[in-house]
Amino acid sequence: MALVKTLANLKSVQILTNKLAALSVVQQNGMSMYPPYYINPIFKKDAQVELFENGEAQKLAHIPTKAALIDQTCSIYYDDDIRLFRNYIMRSGRKSLARELLDKAFEKVKRSQLEKFHKAKTEEDKNKIVLDPREVFHMAVDNCKPVLFLTPIKRGGVKYQVPVPITEKKSQFLSMKWLIEAATDKERTVHFPEKLAYELIDASNNTGRVVKRKQDLHRQCEANRAYAHYRWS
Amino acid sequence: MSVITRILDKNVVKQLPKRAAAYYSNKPNIEEDIGEFRVLYLKTSKAQAFTKKKYQKPEVLPPRSNEMPVDQNWGNVWPGPRTFHPATVPLPLRQGYVSKGSPPDKYANAELMKIPNFLHLTPPVIERQCAALKKFCTPWPKALSNDELCEKHFPFEVISSNYCHSSPSIRDPMARIVTIKFKLNDLKFDEKSRDKYLRLVGDRYNSETGYVTIVTDRCPTQKQNYDYAMYLVTALYHESWNVEAWEELKTEADMEKYIWENNESKKSVEKLFGKNSEDIAESKQYANAVINFMNEGESDYTLANYGDSVRILLGLPAKTNVL
Amino acid sequence: MLKVVSKEVLGARLPKNIRALCVATHSQKFRTSEDKPSYHSSSNSAQYYKIPQDIRNQLFAHGGIPKSYNIQTKSFAETCLMVREPSLDIINCIKSIDYSKPVNRFVLYGKKGSGKSLALAHVVHYGLETGHLILHVPWVGQWMRYCKEYSNSELKPGNVDINLDAANWLVHFKTQNAHVLSNADLVIGQDYVWSKREKTQKGAHILELIEHGISRVKYASSCVLGLCMEIKELSKKGKCKTMVAIDGYNGFFYPKTRVYTEKKEMVPPSKVTVTEGFLEVTKFDWNNAVCVLTVDEIASAKEDQLSHMPKYLLGKEGFEHLDPFIPVAVNEYTDKEFTSCMEYYRERKWVQPAPGQDEELSFLSGSNPYKLMQICAGL
Repeated sequence: MALVKTLANLKSVQILTNKLAALSVVQQNGMSMYPPYYINPIFKKDAQVELFENGEAQKLAHIPTKAALIDQTCSIYYDDDIRLFRNYIMRSGRKSLARELLDKAFEKVKRSQLEKFHKAKTEEDKNKIVLDPREVFHMAVDNCKPVLFLTPIKRGGVKYQVPVPITEKKSQFLSMKWLIEAATDKERTVHFPEKLAYELIDASNNTGRVVKRKQDLHRQCEANRAYAHYRWS
Repeated sequence: MSVITRILDKNVVKQLPKRAAAYYSNKPNIEEDIGEFRVLYLKTSKAQAFTKKKYQKPEVLPPRSNEMPVDQNWGNVWPGPRTFHPATVPLPLRQGYVSKGSPPDKYANAELMKIPNFLHLTPPVIERQCAALKKFCTPWPKALSNDELCEKHFPFEVISSNYCHSSPSIRDPMARIVTIKFKLNDLKFDEKSRDKYLRLVGDRYNSETGYVTIVTDRCPTQKQNYDYAMYLVTALYHESWNVEAWEELKTEADMEKYIWENNESKKSVEKLFGKNSEDIAESKQYANAVINFMNEGESDYTLANYGDSVRILLGLPAKTNVL
Repeated sequence: MLKVVSKEVLGARLPKNIRALCVATHSQKFRTSEDKPSYHSSSNSAQYYKIPQDIRNQLFAHGGIPKSYNIQTKSFAETCLMVREPSLDIINCIKSIDYSKPVNRFVLYGKKGSGKSLALAHVVHYGLETGHLILHVPWVGQWMRYCKEYSNSELKPGNVDINLDAANWLVHFKTQNAHVLSNADLVIGQDYVWSKREKTQKGAHILELIEHGISRVKYASSCVLGLCMEIKELSKKGKCKTMVAIDGYNGFFYPKTRVYTEKKEMVPPSKVTVTEGFLEVTKFDWNNAVCVLTVDEIASAKEDQLSHMPKYLLGKEGFEHLDPFIPVAVNEYTDKEFTSCMEYYRERKWVQPAPGQDEELSFLSGSNPYKLMQICAGL
């Protein structure tokens, strides 16, 4: 009887420790089909090799894991940010179209950068031109990330636009969203990948509409800095 | 012996508890209540509860197969076709599928009961039956000692079914179907007549086995269908040897295989070299390559062969293999 | 050549996550400095050679290099072709041809995107270098399926003309063969009467015929037909040696076209005026020439693209017309060719170097050259 009890205790303790271990890796998602103690899958080859090397794999093998999404490949060209951007481009669930558009945009970025590269005369100029479209993309997103943004806060019946610090994730989201918005705002004869390519190149050079929009936001925040204390009222 | 124990069991042993209950029950003293009315006892005592009848499962005797001698005459035990009966069959059979566990045993096994069994046709029984029939049979002819001789002397195989009915009519419509099978190579043909025969016969010829199968069922009786099938066999054979006037109009497109001599390919080669194809060196291997290519179909291999043969024909260097 | 390239590699901005660096000496294996096709041999196999810009403009200004590859050459700022087995094979055979014998016909075949058109381009360059008169049709599908304009033929009643395309082709022919056409010996052998007032005399130089076709677009198709016949005659007489190079030859035998009569009825290729000329020119009843043709699935409609094999694509008629011909297979990249292609892309800064890149891309593309190009575009 006592043995059974201790065994039962042991099992519950094990489950508890598992859940605690999972909690450290868990990503909260209120709408997820999975219970909260499920951990995200590790699908990249080098990450998996690392886990086996430092012994983490042994622990994680006993924790329930979510299934990897179809996008999450072990390709060497996998990039989380690019995947996120592709999802933002996608409409009506047409992921293949989103992928094509982004591929074409990267192709266009490459071609126009190569054109500049071949035109540049000096070594210095050539070195300044970034030829990797993914790097251009990362630079563009980085350059468009706002540091503060305005939230409406109601004080005394009036809604004030208060400058407030922004989380990393939201900042990245805004940057990507603005880039896509700028790319869709075009003439009918111009194709989305082309426009997006130009926007990306401009943003990576710290010029263009999107960077201007970010700078406008920063200026607005600067202008409204008097209301900053309304955050805590 | 078993009968006696059975009777004893039923009448004495089983009744013991009842009788014991009746004997030891808390019955009221009759002398006390004589002259008075019977008293109704509402309170049930333990003894009275005894008298409740318990369902007794019918005793199942051990199976008969336990007491079967090994050298018994099985033909007497199972004389005719019968549904499988587990107690009578002294075999440890298992039949069926259960996802967890072993196949179920023979007791209460519906599957074993459903399938037809031939326990009434064991070899010793068949031997006995054959021995009984032997006096009605003639000996097997010595001239048909093996299969090849049988096929040689009896090339036709006639298949028909007869049915037994216990209904108002003894006729069964399926009984009229007659199938005749014979080997195509048993008939004598030349190339043209063989081709014509195969076109006439169509699907009825199985090229893998080499048999022609003719099935007839258009007449109401079996005999009529058999006569018709025989007529068909004769008619097809003679028709295939018959050459019609319009057969001369057979064009290249109707040909079943590619013949180099009749085709454009030969004409092209002759025009190319300006001589007859016999005079052109290497034309034979080229012709063979083309025939192969056309008959076997286009593939990397046949195309490569064709290419090599053309190179030889035209005197060009062979294909270099660059690694 | 070598110096310039190594400067580009060493002086270029090094990408971030580079673990397998392409060493300058190693990267030279995929290139050869030999830019004359007649000197290419199996030792140059899987190597890229550069076509000088002026030759490129002369040969391919009006077509010959596939559109997608054209865009690539603009981005790479040079036109390079890979020396591969099929074109080496054909060039080797052409070198050993006896020009007094009847014409040999070579047919390049292969799956979609395996490199047939570029192999043909390589052979055409060889033809130019060895002084052949090049009769090059860049893509038959352009005429049969995407013709700019069609009209009923005046000079050949019952036929349909595709005059704008024919005129464009005459311009293309003229640019390609500028060096050979200057030869005064090339004269036409018969009178061409276009109308009551227009006539090209017998004995006139062949350029006159071409000019007439370009300026008088109405008669362009008939000019093309006449030109083919004349070139045949001239080659027979030994005045010039010709190379006929046609991409998508099965387009002349595919029964469905997008050329219509004025009543909007579909015209089969046999009723298009220009077809006759090119069918004549691919027969074997002349000499002093060589024919290099390509059969391509893409020249037929999508529902009929069942096989890439020449007999299926040419049909019975086409096969009998060409028989006996030498089929030359154009296959997917071998390992060596694939590595060479990837090295070239890396050198041209088209693809950033990354470890395990070659392996992954060879799986994704199946070593198909076109698919590889498409995949690398987005990387």
